[in-house]
Amino acid sequence: VTVGVNRREFLATVAASQGAFVLGFWVPQRADAQTAPGASWYEEPATREINAWIVIAPDDTVTIRIAQTELGQGVWTSNAMMVCEELQCDWTKVRPQYASSNRDAREQAPEWTLNVMGQGATDPKGGGEPLFGNRDRTGVAGIPDSLYRRMRTNAASSVRDGRYYLQLAGAEARERLLLAAATLWSVPVTELTAKDSIIRHTSSGRTTTYGQIADRAAKTPHPRPETITIKPPDQWTLMGTEQKNLDVPLKVTGKTVYAIDVRVPGMKWAAVKSCPVYGGDVKSYDFEAIRKMPGVRSVVQFPIPNPALTRGRVFSGGVAVIADTWYQAKTALDRMPIEWKIPPEHAAFNTANMHASLLAALDQPGTVRVDQGDVGAAFARAAKIVEATYSTPYLPRARMEPGNATVLVTGDRVDIWIGDQSPQETRFSAAQITGIPEQNVHLHMCHLGGGFGRNGNGPQAEQAIVIANANRGTPIHLLWTREEDFIGTTYRAMGVARLKAGLDADGWPIALEVRTAMQEGGFGPDASFNVISRYHVPNYRYSNHTTKFHVPVGTRRGIGQAAHEFYRESFMDELAHVAARDPYRYRRELLARTKLPYKDDMIKALDMAAEMSGWGTPLPQGKARAIALEERGAEANGMATISAMVHTVSVSREGKVRLERVDVAHETGFGLVNPLSVKKQIEGQITWFYNDAMHQANTIKDGHIVENNFHTFPVSRINEDPPEINIRFFATGHWLIGMGHDRATSVQSAIGDAIFQITGKRFRDLPFSRHDLSWR
Amino acid sequence: MAFDLIVNGTVHTVDADTQTPLLWVIRDHVGLTGTKFSCGIGQCGACTLHVDGRAIRSCSAPASIAIGKPVLTIEGVSPDGSHPIQIAWKEFDAPQCGYCQSGMIMSALALLQQRPNPSDADIDAQVTNACRCGTYHRVRQAIHLAADLIKEGRRA
Repeated sequence: VTVGVNRREFLATVAASQGAFVLGFWVPQRADAQTAPGASWYEEPATREINAWIVIAPDDTVTIRIAQTELGQGVWTSNAMMVCEELQCDWTKVRPQYASSNRDAREQAPEWTLNVMGQGATDPKGGGEPLFGNRDRTGVAGIPDSLYRRMRTNAASSVRDGRYYLQLAGAEARERLLLAAATLWSVPVTELTAKDSIIRHTSSGRTTTYGQIADRAAKTPHPRPETITIKPPDQWTLMGTEQKNLDVPLKVTGKTVYAIDVRVPGMKWAAVKSCPVYGGDVKSYDFEAIRKMPGVRSVVQFPIPNPALTRGRVFSGGVAVIADTWYQAKTALDRMPIEWKIPPEHAAFNTANMHASLLAALDQPGTVRVDQGDVGAAFARAAKIVEATYSTPYLPRARMEPGNATVLVTGDRVDIWIGDQSPQETRFSAAQITGIPEQNVHLHMCHLGGGFGRNGNGPQAEQAIVIANANRGTPIHLLWTREEDFIGTTYRAMGVARLKAGLDADGWPIALEVRTAMQEGGFGPDASFNVISRYHVPNYRYSNHTTKFHVPVGTRRGIGQAAHEFYRESFMDELAHVAARDPYRYRRELLARTKLPYKDDMIKALDMAAEMSGWGTPLPQGKARAIALEERGAEANGMATISAMVHTVSVSREGKVRLERVDVAHETGFGLVNPLSVKKQIEGQITWFYNDAMHQANTIKDGHIVENNFHTFPVSRINEDPPEINIRFFATGHWLIGMGHDRATSVQSAIGDAIFQITGKRFRDLPFSRHDLSWR
Repeated sequence: MAFDLIVNGTVHTVDADTQTPLLWVIRDHVGLTGTKFSCGIGQCGACTLHVDGRAIRSCSAPASIAIGKPVLTIEGVSPDGSHPIQIAWKEFDAPQCGYCQSGMIMSALALLQQRPNPSDADIDAQVTNACRCGTYHRVRQAIHLAADLIKEGRRA
């Protein structure tokens, strides 16, 4: 797909906007949206918008702007559904388009949309509990007051944080469309109805369409916007129904424009190599050795990306070769001699000594997060003591689309074509690197070929901006190799945990001590164990412990829960085994004994999953079932997401593991926006955590990541997909935290327990495929 | 050097080194970007297309292997998503991020052309593309539906 630069249109729009720079790039083919609709970035609308989120064309097409990034999780559809629900427009006429992060740098959100309505997480009529944080402009620490509010895509919170203001945007537009029609017909607005983009005056029989009245509505201000309310779930008609995802038709024809597909006139390609050891830099390189190779144009050395732009993470410095095509650039770069300057203290790290450091940290005092009752005294009188130590490796996102971005820096403007989970941050980076103000930075957003964590994209944008800034006037398309993507990503921190329980004579825990450790900066260091034990124990102590490592760490389909629920649920299986009790009923009883506000929901999840799976019915030799609870937020009475799964697993005598069947009981809270997307997220996360359980790990040798492509970092294929997945939902009385991560973490503990049931071997470190799982 | 490729029924004269991987010739010289780059070592299958009716991983095959042979990419399956395999994919809402799906569809299409009625074991053996989002469950169902649609006489 070629992006044309139409100079006349560019100048015209600049002039029309009274000096403010607006988007001057356009895709010629989009004039015929039926034939080349593959690009999804913001474009100046041909007709006046109703509000910042909604444009209605005379032909009734409704453009809904999307401020999150579609990376497979379904925001392209669910965000549009939240607007459409209130707008009451014809869903078949809705066309999502990315919101402009450039306008977001220049315009504020209306005052009346800034605060959420209602009474929080347990009020069905309200907007739930969006995480406003400190309303930082880069969107990192909360929901800003700028035009498109939160443009991040992270923390599974696209629905949670944006629902109230997206519903408000739709409602405001609907009321103004009705008001415009009422004014035109000189009738009271209360006599009008709106449905499927048609406005009807029942008594006179008059009708008009949104497309016909849109221009008037755009010029009709809302007299009292602070009175606008949003529909509670019992009034939803579109939200809560299964809708196919609007991005899918283009994805089956190959027409979707990902960032890697962007072509700009005059564009050159950059292949890069960064120092494989984080914190390292370039000592020397010999461009003369490759200067005459085909297509080669120039070389740019780039420094370690400014940690102030990468949230304190220290990546590496490196070199970019620029050529006419990427393959030419990569081929030349592969032959260019480069010497690295590697910090010796970083080169001294390897997996074995890092793991030893984490285990040693467990023996340090750490930070005590919870200390309830008297754990020491209870251990002293316990009938049995059970202790176990678990380990989880470094893990990357390894999204399918390698890191890339196209950047054009001119004297007073930066254009960036990118798939990005945090465009407000990238806008800030561009301004910092080039000295060009954020108001002149234009991000042209593309769907991402996988995401799995906010800053998992690493410094792809920062590197590209630095390289393009050194080549002002030339669009530069940076593309990482797969191997480079493994250097550019952040990792989920490697972790260890030691859990120790004292059981009474009947096998019930009277004391529990949990210690977890990960490096400083690791995300969710106290997840799943904070505040209170999810399973009842009268004496509970939890501490977390840290070390210092050089690997940049970040979110990865969760912030701690994935590893911590593996530790917690694995240990529950071990306790149930020692107590000689059924692991489902053992969990159920321990939940029932708690005072946790959502314990009934958790019990319901366990009961439903057990019942769905045929829990307790006989299985042939070599097969076993295991159950686990998944929760986020169960420690308090705010937002939460709760589910339980039963996994039926077989292990052949040769040690081949197969996840045969998964039974999922999942809460809906007050309501799911698009249950189809939720099912897809659950299915996807079963695969994700199956890979974590069975296959994936990154190890460190001499300070660098060892596994850096799919031959050494295996990704499961369709032959390992569970033949049967059953998903059932149940309603609960709170808003959900989110669906994008922490679902199906149970695959890990369940496969571990099934291996134990079948083979008699208990393994406590992931992935299990490292072990001999055979039995006789 | 200049050479001809027959891509989706159209002859394209490209000026490139014939040892350049077919993927990059298709993406950068022919200008069809539906075929994706991901691993570069023939592992993941995001770059799958057909040469002479066979599914190959084009990131690791030189363009020279395709000279004089018909090449089919995702863009050539149908321009409008009307091929039964695309209809089936849409019916199950199979893609998530979608990046691997061009290759996934091309692998599945090659399978259906060889075995119009594939078993689950056939699918396991031949559709070996990697998907990070975990769409396998829907992909399998979509392949079976596509087989049914083709048998029902809709355009293959």
